[in-house]
Amino acid sequence: MRRILMTIAVLALCAGAARAETIRILMETVPDTRYIQELLPQFEEQSGIDVEIEAISYIDMHSKLVPQLISPQGSYDLIVVDFYWVGEFTKAGWLMPLDDLVARDGVDVGVYVPKLMDLVGRVNGVLYMLPFYNYSMAVIYRQDLLDDPAEQAAFKEMHGMDLKVPETWDEYWKQVEFFTRDNDGDGERDFFGTVIQGQRGDCISMQWANYLYSQGGRYHDENWNPLLDSDEAIRAMQYYREAVENYSPAGSESYCFDEAFNVMAQGKAYSFVTFNILYAGFEDPESSTVAGKVGIAPNPGGGLNGGWGWAIPNSSPNKEAAWSFIKWAESPEVAKERAMLGGAPTQAPIFTDPDVVAARPYYPILGEILAGTQDFPVFTYTTEFVEEVGRELNLAATGQKPVPEAMAAAQEELRKLLVKDGKISE
Amino acid sequence: MTGADAHTLARRDRRFGYLLTAPGLAALMLVITFPLLFALFTSFYDYTLLNPRHDDFIGGENYLEAWEEEYLAGSFWVTLKFVLASVVIEFVIGFSVALALHAVNRFKTVYYLILLAPLLINPVVVGLLWRMLLHAELGIANYVIGLFGISRVNWLGDIGVAFWTVVLVDIWHQVSFMAILLLAGLAALPREPYEAARMDGASAFRCFLHITLPLMRPVIMVALLLRLIFAIKTFDIIFIMTKGGPGTSTDLVSYFIYRAAFFGLDIGRASAMSVGLLVIVLALTTYLFRYMRSLR
Repeated sequence: MRRILMTIAVLALCAGAARAETIRILMETVPDTRYIQELLPQFEEQSGIDVEIEAISYIDMHSKLVPQLISPQGSYDLIVVDFYWVGEFTKAGWLMPLDDLVARDGVDVGVYVPKLMDLVGRVNGVLYMLPFYNYSMAVIYRQDLLDDPAEQAAFKEMHGMDLKVPETWDEYWKQVEFFTRDNDGDGERDFFGTVIQGQRGDCISMQWANYLYSQGGRYHDENWNPLLDSDEAIRAMQYYREAVENYSPAGSESYCFDEAFNVMAQGKAYSFVTFNILYAGFEDPESSTVAGKVGIAPNPGGGLNGGWGWAIPNSSPNKEAAWSFIKWAESPEVAKERAMLGGAPTQAPIFTDPDVVAARPYYPILGEILAGTQDFPVFTYTTEFVEEVGRELNLAATGQKPVPEAMAAAQEELRKLLVKDGKISE
Repeated sequence: MTGADAHTLARRDRRFGYLLTAPGLAALMLVITFPLLFALFTSFYDYTLLNPRHDDFIGGENYLEAWEEEYLAGSFWVTLKFVLASVVIEFVIGFSVALALHAVNRFKTVYYLILLAPLLINPVVVGLLWRMLLHAELGIANYVIGLFGISRVNWLGDIGVAFWTVVLVDIWHQVSFMAILLLAGLAALPREPYEAARMDGASAFRCFLHITLPLMRPVIMVALLLRLIFAIKTFDIIFIMTKGGPGTSTDLVSYFIYRAAFFGLDIGRASAMSVGLLVIVLALTTYLFRYMRSLR
């Protein structure tokens, strides 16, 4: 017995010594992670560093990250940070500033779209992250229906305006109403103007933000005074409630983006206000029956900005190797290769790169979408805010609470959290 | 053998017993008692994930804050309804299934396997699976009931329906636990009282009422208590299927506490709520345990 144990111990020691440097990264199971995994052998060959990517679903990420970030020596060398967590992670001092490394190695961070640099790059002038991909929100719609002469004539007759890619909210809403139909005449709607992802929590919070911006509403003014009980916010919620009641399929109050995606991918809806990264899925015949029939455009009035950034936690056991990985992944060549595979770019030149545009003609539009986005309030308690406001929005969307009452409650929740964070005084 | 020898032998036996149980007891201390005391201790501090240190003693403030939470009381109420509904229905179905299976002689293994199948599935998978099946627009459930002319049900989006949907999924997942436990109890019952009752001409129903039920009481007690405790802890299916919505209709306490800890980052407040929940669960189980013992 003892001999066996000894052998194992010796073997383990040898294995530890013989193995090259390894870095561990926690990532989300999304297409952009897959593109990194596809290109990974390049990096491992160049650097001699082994990379272990642990890809898990979003819902598990935060609770898995935090314990590792708190401990002096965590198990992840490199992490990706959702914009939600930026306020919290930097406030807690879990992320390592990258300014010195950038200066030392002459990395050009001027290439990043400023909107993303502000969201998942710099915080109060300190560079904590390099923007990895963007998931800004937009309107995905059925181009084939807009191009149909019969639909065009009918729409013109009804509303006196051309049927085209919507540029104003009023125009979009008329289209939503116009396309909601009962095609088989059984008294139940079976084609929908829009799809709501109204599940309580993060799903509704994200989508509703676009409705808020469409009405010219904001979460707070420049001094962080909350504005969720404004007329714009109330109007936005009334539109949202109207969509749940009249223009979106049954069960919308419980959909997250995947359920909503499937409704549109099965050809049962005209439009869907959602993350731009889902567009590739609609264009893929394996996951969608409407491939080749969809288009993407900015949300009228501006969509929600969203993104992930690469960061090295202070608890990272191997910061130098993690940094060389970031440098590789964000180098112009690899960033371009990722975009060619379908990745959502963060560096300005890539949106209009001729090779990228040849492979993915809609990328310049993604650049436009990003340029017109608005930021979600990023502060220490963003994650909690998303849950609290998500509850109120869902209460209003399901009709359990009158809209003005729900918005007043949301306003109060935001105010309390901003006070707790010291952004405003009591 | 002398008396002294027997004495040392007994002592040696006892020492050996301690030795055998020590690792288990130590492990239990480590994974149960320590976290419990840690949570109790933490509930009196302003301990957050942003400042994970016990350096700010605030007395009962976390408890006060929890008490003042606008939606916590509602969440307890939803939990109570959920626990009652799922445990009672699971008991009724589970007992019926157990009685039926007890009477079956052939293909018992096959039935066992079918029964056990849901139990072997991870709750997260159960949640995802049912979410897909119950998709109001595209799901199979609505398609199937549509074949019988029943109009579409908004399983997870309707305030009145969603709660029962979650209860049903929980029953689907957990009912076999109840059935298997009760079946084991039935299998261990002595045959003689039934034979005697038969001789006296008692009906099957009277046999059940006067023999099966009284003899099964300890097993029923254990089954109910276990399911009750598990039901109060239910988290996964809510987390996966509804996130507590629509509105607040499925917002169980466990998910409420989870949000305070991992979204609110406030471990102190979450600990206070957990301690509160623990006290309630303990009181409830003690009461039930006493009550059931008094019936004997």
